[in-house]
Amino acid sequence: MSNAIDVEALRTAYLNQVFDEVEVTLDAEETAAYAVSCGEVSPCFTDPSDPDFQAPPTLPASLHPGRRRPKGFPKVVGLGMDAGKAVHCHLPIRAGVKLTAKTHMHDIYTKTGRSGRMVFFVNRMEIFDPEGQLLASADTSSVVRERPEQ
Amino acid sequence: MTVTRITDVEFGDTLPVFDPDTRLANVARFVEAAHWNGPRFTDHEAARAEGLPGALVPGIMSQGFLAAMIHRWAPKAEILYVDTVFRAPVIVDQPCHINGVVTDLDEATGEVEIDLTVTNDAGETRVFGTARARLPN
Repeated sequence: MSNAIDVEALRTAYLNQVFDEVEVTLDAEETAAYAVSCGEVSPCFTDPSDPDFQAPPTLPASLHPGRRRPKGFPKVVGLGMDAGKAVHCHLPIRAGVKLTAKTHMHDIYTKTGRSGRMVFFVNRMEIFDPEGQLLASADTSSVVRERPEQ
Repeated sequence: MTVTRITDVEFGDTLPVFDPDTRLANVARFVEAAHWNGPRFTDHEAARAEGLPGALVPGIMSQGFLAAMIHRWAPKAEILYVDTVFRAPVIVDQPCHINGVVTDLDEATGEVEIDLTVTNDAGETRVFGTARARLPN
């Protein structure tokens, strides 16, 4: 039996449907510690008392969804690994504000190399403020290298 | 040297290299703040028991190093986008270097594109990426 992933079927069934929603409120001291440990030096990232204090731009990549795949998503056979992260920043993210993070599958695509086909899954988490403004989005890419047919 | 506005920047400019703190205590502080705590990031022996070469600097921390490097070069830069590919592990307590070069700029919008890499002392690229940032006109 073939283990090949039917990418088109998965795209049709699962792309662009929100499958997870979590609420997050950033703690100011933790947000500053995140920035300082990364090497930020501007008080707007490192000093919670700064009037423009905000999260460092890549912090959204650290937020965890409640689940990583939509309900009913088939088990994928192969060797999986983290492929990368991308963050789009739209507006500053402030500590102490209740944020809503909604996650959907943004893309599923393939690349073929000498060792066979690799399937990439891209989850996009969008982060909104209480007024519903989109503040940032964070893409998490994972890749599965399909096992060769036996 | 820092830049304050888009007119200070030229195509092909190399950003000053930033050597971030990859020591265990700093990585421990990061994972605590990020809620990513786990022995693979804070304990070399535990990481080796998982088959890793040593405790890992989380990929999201490397991504944070890239953003910090841009802000050190251009303190008023507003980062719009950072895309990062994790090519190989960055190991805790091993020095690494953040490098960047301006690959595109638009004086009308103030936007610059920067290619970024994280390299180790052997010159091996561990992480690479692209960022877009806006500078004042």
